[in-house]
Amino acid sequence: MTTIKGLNAGLKRRSVLTGMAAASAAAMIPRRLYAQEQITLRWWSPQSSPEQLAAYRTQIANFEALHTNITVAFERTSDEGYAPQLAAAFASGDVPNVVTHLPSFAVSSYWSNGLVEPFNDVIDMIGADKFYDGVNRIYEIDAGQYAGTSIGNSAANMIWLRKDLMQEAGIDSNPRTWDELLSAMGKLQGGGVYGAALPYGRNSMTSLIFAGVIHQAGGMVFSPELEVAIDSQETRDALEFYRAMREYCPPGATNYSWGDSLTAFVSGASATGIYTGRVLTNVLNQNPGIADHITCDVYPTKSVDIEPWTFNDFPSVFIPKAADNMEATKQFAAFLFDPEGYIEQLHAAPGHVLPVLSSIAEDPTYLANPVIEKYRAEVDLMSTAAANGFNLGWESPEHKPNTNAGEVINSGVIAEMVQRVILNDENVDEVLSDTSRRIEEIAQG
Amino acid sequence: MTTIATDPPRNGPSPLERSYARLGVLLIAPTIVVFSAVIVYPLLAAIYLSVFSIYTPTLEGEFVGADNYVKMLTGGVFWSSLWTTLIWTVGTLSLQIIFGVGLALLLHQNIWFRSLARSLVLFPYFLSTVVAVLVWRWLFNDLYGALNHGMMQAGIIDMPLDWLGSMPNAMIGVILVGAWKYFPFVVIAVLARLQTIPENLYEAARIDGAGPVARFIDVTLPQLKSVLTVIILLRAIWDFKEFDLIFLLTGGGPVTSTQTLSLLVYQEAFGLNRMGQAAAYSVGMMLVMLVFMILYIRRTGKES
Repeated sequence: MTTIKGLNAGLKRRSVLTGMAAASAAAMIPRRLYAQEQITLRWWSPQSSPEQLAAYRTQIANFEALHTNITVAFERTSDEGYAPQLAAAFASGDVPNVVTHLPSFAVSSYWSNGLVEPFNDVIDMIGADKFYDGVNRIYEIDAGQYAGTSIGNSAANMIWLRKDLMQEAGIDSNPRTWDELLSAMGKLQGGGVYGAALPYGRNSMTSLIFAGVIHQAGGMVFSPELEVAIDSQETRDALEFYRAMREYCPPGATNYSWGDSLTAFVSGASATGIYTGRVLTNVLNQNPGIADHITCDVYPTKSVDIEPWTFNDFPSVFIPKAADNMEATKQFAAFLFDPEGYIEQLHAAPGHVLPVLSSIAEDPTYLANPVIEKYRAEVDLMSTAAANGFNLGWESPEHKPNTNAGEVINSGVIAEMVQRVILNDENVDEVLSDTSRRIEEIAQG
Repeated sequence: MTTIATDPPRNGPSPLERSYARLGVLLIAPTIVVFSAVIVYPLLAAIYLSVFSIYTPTLEGEFVGADNYVKMLTGGVFWSSLWTTLIWTVGTLSLQIIFGVGLALLLHQNIWFRSLARSLVLFPYFLSTVVAVLVWRWLFNDLYGALNHGMMQAGIIDMPLDWLGSMPNAMIGVILVGAWKYFPFVVIAVLARLQTIPENLYEAARIDGAGPVARFIDVTLPQLKSVLTVIILLRAIWDFKEFDLIFLLTGGGPVTSTQTLSLLVYQEAFGLNRMGQAAAYSVGMMLVMLVFMILYIRRTGKES
């Protein structure tokens, strides 16, 4: 048996040569094939309040503890800024791994342009049977393939009411119709308090909320076959109502977006508000004096025979197709629904993001939250409303998923229509005709 | 008669001249490369993109020839945004010049705390635009803004004014904030020039009986003319393409009343994902700016 001279460890030449060959081969393996190579996953979300960030840190820490070679970096975007940021990311190929809390219609748009990884694997990892019925149907743009899923539900156009002010004004029930609401406005406004805090700005909130008002008049923006249907009597009625509400809103409502509208109600500057359940936490933290006097309801409609239309943007989770480390990415996306972290994320803004997993909604740990316990009736109402909610990407159960909804919202065309009619007092027929034409142009690409 | 010996006629440059020429090319090459990479390439890319219909996130699309330019010239949105841009540029630039020259004259005087004042006046220029806009938005706020509160306390108005959501307040608002943000640049440049004006010119004017106004018109202004021309041209170029301040203050609203060309390009590129049309708008914008640039180049060329 031959041994190499100079080595007294008793190694055989064959062993040494085998070892050298193995070392050489290992050196030639591409870096990414190392099983334990340190990788970083990037997570984008427009939802980043301090409480939510703390919950995300817990979820990230739990995931990193299970996968020691993975680091997750959270990067915040915004409701008004995600579209350009993602457009640049997609164009450059430098995309995040996971994106959460974008409206479902944004995902539809990216999917239709081949930019999104199918989410079926992740849904299977979470367990398709754990979701509420129908949660995933809006993401099934192509049969059998899901573009993403909802990480939560939201009821974004709930009317928030001050019970104490209503009582002082002699209003004994929540307004159900526009006439009742306008009548209440006249009684509630005064003494430095405005009636409402509706948005009239040139931004996505105005577009999204007003799309809901059109539905509350019985109309729609697109027909179920996705023909442009905004030029209708219902839209004219919606504009009339919105114009009538203007005098009950603060002067600066002409520039209001989500934050301004929320602050107006939470601070007590307006007697009613329009927002999600984030109102609850903000009131408790920022203006606890009114915490015992607030409640919410579905937003009034033109008449009692028109059903309420709740705007649910279906906060989503999806994976860009160009994301690297796809296997780890999918595992992380599924891990976001792990009960411990998911419940903490929901508790970060109780009532704002509502659970989409039926198992979580009934979980005692989820229900054992002081905010949810205090406002259980409101949270239950929002959950029900959101579960039956819609958005521009899916206006009714009869509608097909609308892959152009994102561009329509981001174009600001609906907000401009509101401003032209209400602020500039332009001719309604001309504005509607123009708006209809512009939406058709967008829909045609 | 004497003759002067001359070198024999040469057919071309000497070896030394050729060597210097090669060295010159070598020395200027890095500049040319960097210039091409950061200016020429983006410019050509914008022109190239402008003849395509391109979906921004994928950067894929089809050749459409001059369609984007036809739409730009025949649609009203480019012209209305150009008009808005001109109103904004002329408005804010005028205020910058008036405040800038005024404050520079004041800071040129022998006043108390002059050094401190000269430092503080630069503050708006150094402040991040995002921070400045947040502060001004708070000041303009209808419910809690100090501006409305102060005016109501003073009895000037009964109800809060809608500063940024209605016209003409929104345009006045962005013009005022723009003037506040950028007038220190004028102060710095004018102050530097004021300090080089010979004192004997003022003495001569005084002997001739000129008062303060006459001295300003007949001595100071002519001396400031050259620097003011350059300042106006530079600031006109910068204000013309201003984006962040207007976008953050009004987003271009109400409707499109404060939508300048920069905001229009952004909206097309990222709101509507039409990169080709956005590129056409930006080429149109560049052509307008070319006028300012030619004036600036001619001016600086004349001075040099």
